[in-house]
Amino acid sequence: MMLWSLISWPYARKHLLRWMLTMAGIVLGVGVFVGMHTANRSVLSAFQETIDRIAGSTQLQVTAGEPGFDEDILEKVQNVPEVRAAAPVIEATVATGSGNLLILGVDMLGDRSLRNYDLEDTDASIDDPLVFLAQADSLLVTKTFAEKSGLRVNSRVPMRTMQGDLTFTVRGIMKPGGLASAFGGDLAIMDIYAAQKFLGRGRKFDRIDVALADGVSLDEGIAKLRAAVGSGYEIAPPSSRGEQFEQTSRIYSLASNITSVFALFIGMFIIYNTFAIAVTQRRSEIGILRALGATRSQIRALFLGESAVAGLIGSTVGVLFGIVLARAMAGYIGGMLTEVYGVAQRAGDVALDPLLIGGALAMGIATSVVAAVIPSRAAAAVDPVKALQKGRDQAVSERENRLRQWTATLCAVASAVTLAFNRTPLVFYAGFVLSVVAAVLLTPALTLWLARLLRPLLQWARPVEGTLAADSLIQGPKRTSGTVAALMLSLALVISLSGLARSSYEAISDWTRIALNPDLFVTTAQSVSARTFVFPASLGDGLRKIQGVGEVQSVRSVRVNVKGSPVMLLALDIASMEQHAKLPSVQGDPHEMYRLTAKGEGLMASENYMRLHGAKFGEVLDIPAPSGRLHLPIVGVVRDFSDQQGTLIISRAAYVRTWNDDSVNVFRIYVAPGAQEAAVRQRIIDTFGKTQRLFVLTNGDVRRFIRRLTDQWFGLTYVQIAVAVLIAVLGVVNALTVSITDRRRELGVLQAVGALRQQVRHTVWMEAIAIGVIGLVLGLSLGVVTLYYAVGMARRDFMGTEIGYSYPFDTALVLVPVILFAAFLAAIAPGEAAVKGSLVEALEYE
Amino acid sequence: MNRRAVITGLALLAVPCLAQDPRQIMEEVQRRQRSDSQHYEGTLEVIGGGNRIATKRWMYDRLGSFGASKAILRFVAPPEVKGVGLLIVNHADKASDQWMWRPNIGREQRIAFQDRSTRFFGTDFSFEDLEERDVAQYDFKLLSDEGAAWKLESTPRKSSQYTHSYLWVKKDNYTVTRLELFTKKGLMRTIDYRDFELNKGVWTARTTEINDVTRNSRTILKFDKLEYNSPMKDADFTIDALRRGV
Repeated sequence: MMLWSLISWPYARKHLLRWMLTMAGIVLGVGVFVGMHTANRSVLSAFQETIDRIAGSTQLQVTAGEPGFDEDILEKVQNVPEVRAAAPVIEATVATGSGNLLILGVDMLGDRSLRNYDLEDTDASIDDPLVFLAQADSLLVTKTFAEKSGLRVNSRVPMRTMQGDLTFTVRGIMKPGGLASAFGGDLAIMDIYAAQKFLGRGRKFDRIDVALADGVSLDEGIAKLRAAVGSGYEIAPPSSRGEQFEQTSRIYSLASNITSVFALFIGMFIIYNTFAIAVTQRRSEIGILRALGATRSQIRALFLGESAVAGLIGSTVGVLFGIVLARAMAGYIGGMLTEVYGVAQRAGDVALDPLLIGGALAMGIATSVVAAVIPSRAAAAVDPVKALQKGRDQAVSERENRLRQWTATLCAVASAVTLAFNRTPLVFYAGFVLSVVAAVLLTPALTLWLARLLRPLLQWARPVEGTLAADSLIQGPKRTSGTVAALMLSLALVISLSGLARSSYEAISDWTRIALNPDLFVTTAQSVSARTFVFPASLGDGLRKIQGVGEVQSVRSVRVNVKGSPVMLLALDIASMEQHAKLPSVQGDPHEMYRLTAKGEGLMASENYMRLHGAKFGEVLDIPAPSGRLHLPIVGVVRDFSDQQGTLIISRAAYVRTWNDDSVNVFRIYVAPGAQEAAVRQRIIDTFGKTQRLFVLTNGDVRRFIRRLTDQWFGLTYVQIAVAVLIAVLGVVNALTVSITDRRRELGVLQAVGALRQQVRHTVWMEAIAIGVIGLVLGLSLGVVTLYYAVGMARRDFMGTEIGYSYPFDTALVLVPVILFAAFLAAIAPGEAAVKGSLVEALEYE
Repeated sequence: MNRRAVITGLALLAVPCLAQDPRQIMEEVQRRQRSDSQHYEGTLEVIGGGNRIATKRWMYDRLGSFGASKAILRFVAPPEVKGVGLLIVNHADKASDQWMWRPNIGREQRIAFQDRSTRFFGTDFSFEDLEERDVAQYDFKLLSDEGAAWKLESTPRKSSQYTHSYLWVKKDNYTVTRLELFTKKGLMRTIDYRDFELNKGVWTARTTEINDVTRNSRTILKFDKLEYNSPMKDADFTIDALRRGV
């Protein structure tokens, strides 16, 4: 404790700015980690909360994937003696003038057994189920939505339905709380049969909510219900919907976790650098303490304690920053997940997880302590005699240098060896870690080497200032190597993510050119991924009669559960697909796979389905469907990006037969030769636009949508890139601040012998730019290796599809001026500090 | 609404005057209520909290009697509920089948058995109260002789929301004047029959008042244009007929 008050506290007070900069690294690392996780969690818990609130007293739900099932199943469920109440539900999200509205279609006669509709008691007619049922345009809305939209009882709400643009009437307003709080309160209740009509569900329900009779266990209820409805249905508690969504968005969560941890890893180098510098600067103090009897372990504990305190303060601020960040990001993530997965999300309040916060604090402190381990060991090893020899400690000793280089070489060789056996995930990831470790270990030596290379160049640019700047780097590689390592890792991360994005864009662009080549797309929403509404199959016949329409493909895409995972099932006319949009085959005979699939004797699986789900060519998949279970072998593997979890392609005829569902999500239209695309589009809108909810998108619209979706997907990654670069720039500021302090006497002497203030400034600026240049060279080079691993990770664990290696030279070119400018900006304050101090004090320093 | 369904709701009658056997009393009640068909127009007044009154009118046709009857009920006013219909097919040995027709949606909907205990379109009746169950579906117990009337207890043999009910039968004309309906939680509803008139040999209450004890609301049903035994066709009591709005 005494050492703390005598040594640590005065030092911290004296170098407050540097400590703040050090902690900024932890703040950003922890902040991004907490922010990303909390935002993700907020979206997921809002989804779960919506499920819970909608569930009411529901114990089990009977579902058959997104296609739903025929309504006669309801009677079978209701007739099960163990069932106390069973109510059908249709759930859909529609866009209104006041944002997205979750429509819950329920049977008001029986639904009150499961859910409580607590209405505002303002008018006797509100609670009149007869009026509600008799009028198809009836809606119950929540007080939250009513207030937000200025609605009262009998107010009219316009909505675009499958019957065209209609106006609905508010028949009642639900009090806040319970069911009315679901989906952030943006909820409306509609009669289920009206919902069938207006949402284009035909005579189908999305699910049946079930409450069991007293004394019946869940397992017993599931068994009895399964016996009644058959094995093609899923019977599970409502909470399983949340688990399924979590599984669907697993890839996104995994990606954000990795980049968050990487940000913290970069922050670790800043902390290491700060402590390494602190040890260097306080050598004389440490020497005196050692001479006075302080033990090595006391010195080590002193530095580790300092790092723990810095970690605690930085982590605490980081957590607070993360919460603020989460609030800003939750809406964006919710919107993105809605677009990507087609399941409406609404992040309400930020959901704080005490475990996550505790974990983040522990991680921040641990990062800080781990980063300080080497400097604290160095501090403990200080020889009291050598402690007074200024400058000697900044150099890397030959022995240390050799040891590092040997270790780095070993790591590099081991990493290269893993390339031959990297089919095993453990070996692959070990190879990645070894390559990064090799680069980090080589950083001091490479920094020194590059600084020597730069010396003539800097000297040529500014003989005095350039030489001084280069010599500063050459004489104190320890001071800058941590910063350079942080910068190098940041830039490698930028290159990896950017290269990955570039490869993905290229692959997706190729796919859209092949798979999405129709001229027009008739959809139920402006978002191609939305699956709330469906068209009747008969619309296809109508479209074929439009003048200028050549061919019409009816496409149905639904998410179904295969082997416990939600997977996209794509049903369409396979012969037409082979003729117009033949997907690149990865495995299987390119013609035979289409022939067998068209005949309903097999299915084609996307490459990412095969990789992410460990499926094998020829394997017979067991797909649950209302009519039983569909058993089809995988007869072909194709490259398809329709869904992140993978796609299974079957013939439309097999789908219609098995799911008893002839509805359509999208009609793909090929314009007849000679016909004008714009004219055909207008004719479709004129013919069906007033009686049918319908959007006619051009090929360009769809490509732009997919591009936007991909942009959104990588959007948060770019934020993380910015944070990584910011952390690295903070490192530059930190290193320069230390450099100035460390060379205060030297700079004072320079001014005393006639150097101009401008020359001192230039020296600092050039040193910063030199650090930037070294960081750029190392980072862009390491990026070559990390991109290789990033592409590998994407292939095997994220996308599951073959994407090419494409080094982002354009990004690298952009990074050069950005980093140099950032380094220059980082140098301004330290440069001013160097010239503004008292010359006498500077000469008296040390 | 079938007055007898409401009146007897669960119970009904028969017994020679002098007999004291509860089943015979109820068989006699049922015998005296029997008719080949029934038609009436009714007015419903639902009087909720704060004495707010919601009024609806309907037309009712029934073919057959008790356990073998079929009935169609169609709302005629107010305009927002006009055309909504309900088809009830009663069975001698089980609960009735019921379908609702909603012209605005253009489809019928089966009323699930589990939903029979729910309120009938905002009134104080439940869907089950609209059934015409045969007297054979109940056990009866004579509780007391109250001079001008007998007080009986009926217990349903088949599944019902009610555990038991008390009913009062007038000795002079074998009409049920009051019903008290109990669920597991206690007294749920009371039904009082008033303003009796003799129409084609059938004593009919022109006013029925039902009180939902749990909600503290009541519904008053008044009959107009009552006719018994007018000619009706079986084909007019089908789901197709319900859809057609015959």
